[in-house]
Amino acid sequence: MRLSKPAVASLVVAGSILGASLAVLAADAFQDRHMAMETVGDAMKPLGAIAKKQVPFDAAAVKASATTIAENLEKAAKLFPAGSGGGESKARPEIWTDAAGFEKAMKDAHAAAVALQSVKDEAAFGPALGALGGTCKSCHDRYRMAKQ
Amino acid sequence: MTKRRTLAALVALLAAGAAAFCLLTSPDPLPVAAIPAHAVDLRNGETLYHAGSCLACHRPSDEASGVDPGLPSGGRPFPTPVGVFYPQNLTPDSETGIGRWTEADFVNAMRRGISPRGTHYFPAFPYASYRSMTMADLLDLRAYLMSLRAVRSPPREADVPLVPLARRGVGLWKQVAFRQPLFSADPARPAWWRRGAYLANAPGHCGECHTPKNWLMVADESRHLAGGPHPGGEGKVPSLRGLLARKKYKDVGDLVLALQNGETFGYEHLSSGGMAAIQESLARLPETELRAIAEYLLSLE
Repeated sequence: MRLSKPAVASLVVAGSILGASLAVLAADAFQDRHMAMETVGDAMKPLGAIAKKQVPFDAAAVKASATTIAENLEKAAKLFPAGSGGGESKARPEIWTDAAGFEKAMKDAHAAAVALQSVKDEAAFGPALGALGGTCKSCHDRYRMAKQ
Repeated sequence: MTKRRTLAALVALLAAGAAAFCLLTSPDPLPVAAIPAHAVDLRNGETLYHAGSCLACHRPSDEASGVDPGLPSGGRPFPTPVGVFYPQNLTPDSETGIGRWTEADFVNAMRRGISPRGTHYFPAFPYASYRSMTMADLLDLRAYLMSLRAVRSPPREADVPLVPLARRGVGLWKQVAFRQPLFSADPARPAWWRRGAYLANAPGHCGECHTPKNWLMVADESRHLAGGPHPGGEGKVPSLRGLLARKKYKDVGDLVLALQNGETFGYEHLSSGGMAAIQESLARLPETELRAIAEYLLSLE
């Protein structure tokens, strides 16, 4: 089949638009997941303050922070489309080469945040926060690079 | 006639070059007589083990099943720009670990970067820092490792191009790197500061990542702990200087909490680029030792 010149031209244009849209979507995914993870980081801070005994234990405050963390982890987990690494992103290629491992790490973190939501007393708070922190560390250790 | 002469000269030059290479790269181990008699302090050995975060690199591979991840049985891939290394099994297994290593073998590995077989280790194993450890500390560390449960985990050769030649060539690098003065803490400083400085620089080997390297791949001490490119080839390692002025930590207590808890307490920058595993090791240090390290680090301007 031979294509006419206008047909080739429109194919090229359509392809470019598709490529550009994918690039924009990848950039959007990076921005959106970055925001979500920053929100998680900010929500960890009041929990850290309780653990450091700078602020008294407050079940409602813990639940609020844990809920923010769980919601944003769920959001972020869907924002790692293939090809959205590189540039400013600290995402390591293992996120895509070991997609199953990454998915499990995000699920583990989410489950730990959900468990923290229902903590009622200080005795249960320490271990529950430790469990959540452990999931942050192991996932970042494997899938996030150092960059300042 | 001239052709033959040129050829002869070329062969002579090559032979001289090869001889010089052999001479300059020849491993130079400490003799057994250099190891003093020593009364072992296992608790000190354990402190050094955690200060050096040995487990962070000598962890078993994530894929190894049924292996205690809390023991340094080695094998977890350690990627670098020159290739992938598989750290040594540090448990006392006699076939695959350090069970049959003599004290001299251990000291030569740590101080001279030479294996019991007499070959150079690649400096991904940070002996450039460990060579500043005291003999007593090295022997205590060895005794602590020998007290761990033996795990079978066979060694695996590095995935580096031209391994035998590259390994021998490490001798040339040592000619430069070992000319650097050994670390010694400023005697004018108080004892706790000197302790923290020793732990951070000798066993702790912070500078292996946090001090940038010059073009010869040797630490550029004019920029000691000032941060630079990540030696793994991805991203950057932050500076440890001016942590107070840059408001990274409020005070010594704050940095101690950060090193003890890392991201769990909201210190989010302690889990990137391999630091999470190091923080987990440091968290096992007695608080007095950790406080000494924090005091030293926060004094760096």
